[in-house]
Amino acid sequence: MTETLPETPEESTRELPPVEAEQVTEATRVTEAVDDTDDDAAPFRPGIGGWIARGLIWALLAWVVFALPGNILSPFELGVSDVGHASKAAIFAIIGLSLNVLIGYTGTISLGHQAFVGVGAFVSAYVVVDMGLEFWVAVPIAAAVGGLQAALLGAISLRLTGLYFALVTLAYGLFAEETLFGITAFTGGEGGKNVPRPLGFEDDYTFYYLCLAFLAAVLWVDWRLMRSKGGRALQALRENPRVASSYGINVKAYTLMAFVVSGIFASIGGALLAQQSTFLVPKTFSFQLALIFILMTVVGGLRNRVGVVIGSVVFALLEEGTLVHLLHLEGILDSTIGLPAEFFGLVIGPILLLLTITLYPGGIGQQIAPIAQWLRGRKFDIHAGKVTEVEVTDVRA
Amino acid sequence: MSVLEVRNLSVHFGGVRALEHVSMEAGEWEIVGIIGPNGAGKTTLFNCITGFYRPSKGKIRYRGKSIARLPVHKRTALGIGRTFQNVGLVKNTTVAENLVTAQHLEINYDPWAGMLGGPATFAEESRLRERADQLLELLDLSDVADARVADLPYGVLKRVEIATVLATDPDLLLLDEPGSGMGPEEAHALGDTLLELRKEFGITIVMIDHHVPLVTQVSDYVYCLNFGEVLAEGRPEAVRSHPEVVRAYLGEEPEAEAETASVPDADAVSEEYV
Repeated sequence: MTETLPETPEESTRELPPVEAEQVTEATRVTEAVDDTDDDAAPFRPGIGGWIARGLIWALLAWVVFALPGNILSPFELGVSDVGHASKAAIFAIIGLSLNVLIGYTGTISLGHQAFVGVGAFVSAYVVVDMGLEFWVAVPIAAAVGGLQAALLGAISLRLTGLYFALVTLAYGLFAEETLFGITAFTGGEGGKNVPRPLGFEDDYTFYYLCLAFLAAVLWVDWRLMRSKGGRALQALRENPRVASSYGINVKAYTLMAFVVSGIFASIGGALLAQQSTFLVPKTFSFQLALIFILMTVVGGLRNRVGVVIGSVVFALLEEGTLVHLLHLEGILDSTIGLPAEFFGLVIGPILLLLTITLYPGGIGQQIAPIAQWLRGRKFDIHAGKVTEVEVTDVRA
Repeated sequence: MSVLEVRNLSVHFGGVRALEHVSMEAGEWEIVGIIGPNGAGKTTLFNCITGFYRPSKGKIRYRGKSIARLPVHKRTALGIGRTFQNVGLVKNTTVAENLVTAQHLEINYDPWAGMLGGPATFAEESRLRERADQLLELLDLSDVADARVADLPYGVLKRVEIATVLATDPDLLLLDEPGSGMGPEEAHALGDTLLELRKEFGITIVMIDHHVPLVTQVSDYVYCLNFGEVLAEGRPEAVRSHPEVVRAYLGEEPEAEAETASVPDADAVSEEYV
């Protein structure tokens, strides 16, 4: 999924090698030292062979993302259900990016994100089924309602911080699951609701590309967010609210903005999820889902778009048992350990979380940093991910 | 009309009197120095002016307008910029990025438009970066523009901080120990820079510093705080040789005086500092 990321080498922040100890003593000399290393690093251009190698890897990645699940030029005969899982993976990536806006960029945690997703799903389903409108109308409406509920929840609960804020989001998630999604007139109640797919995207293959298109749009917005006014404000206020406010940033307003953006992303993910499963029941949006969302975002790597996408894909496939199936592990899990493949995500998730926080706070994003840098046309540096800006203390709750 | 006017300001934290009846003023184009031993309430005063603390009593006026009820970011919008004692910068990003962030209020597009990537935002972004580069050049920091803040030494960061506050386009600059971590020569150079900045931008500067030679070099007027009260005020030379000030800093007994005014332990006082 990496090639959907519209990043170019010029735009990515340059990382300088650490200044050597002896040069730290005098300010003026360090200035020179930094200048020197900068000159050395800038002119690196891969040779023709290097570009071909990079091109091949890009092509391979593009093939995996675009061709493999769509059965185009694919050597494998993929079943329809596998393509459905690929769609789900793309949708989870959108949801992961949504949560990344909160946890990664803003430094606040949401333990009720399944409700954000659920609101999007049910609003979209309601618009399509009960109002008889097009899917293309339903998505903007779902996004608007999702943004609105996030604004309401944020306006009330952002008066609290840390653990208490997390508790409010947790309570909201449970309230939505138990009460909001139980309103029969709105959600169809326990019985659920059939949600038809939009015209032209009825089959799983085309629907997968629709999901990819939405993921690309979300990636674009996320990328522009972090390179413009709003994202910079979030970065400043996450790290130091006092400094941010002294820069003239309205800390509360921008935190709320992050909430709304996250709500909009999550609702878009939810709207797609409703279409993907075609049959929507309130039970889907349980607290377990919120946990998976947090796990996949943190394990993927906070503030690392590619990492979050990969992490989300992994957990989406784990949740469906697809990854286990692809690796032919069902036999072992089911019979030997007695663990159904569907629960594998919840078992392996916390283990991955532990490993992430202790070994690689930057998650998958940090681990793939050398390859990601190389693919962007820079020298292969195995230590590229060593200086990570993600710290264990980043997630405050 | 003075740019900044503080009248009878008192700040109490429970039983602790951080500030008591402090009054001060800074006129147009003036550089005002604030000195005093550790814990004298200097930074507390800044925190009241910028809005981090609510004073228990007293008035704060900026250009004749009471600002005591405004939140921090609105005071920045009015033109009050400040630096922090422990370097107030976003550490996980580059120097230039900090200067761009600090131009927050100058940005003429909506954050939502920026998110969608409207064509106007790209032009504005490069304008912001240009402005950042100009300011960095002015403070002789062009070399570190793309260096990560966390990788730079303290002395450089103090200058970066000044460049960053200037990016907020202030009329009144509050500098909290701009000379700390600098040697005598660097401090002197900083003094020259401050005088130059005042000329270039027409700004008023209020500066806290322990570096008495620096304060004397640039200030038009000096206040000395001790135990939350104004101990002395006046021209720099006069305050510097004021017997109470000397005593507060050095713990010396001026000959004839036998007052019981409590003497703080003047830790870390060297020739250079008084």
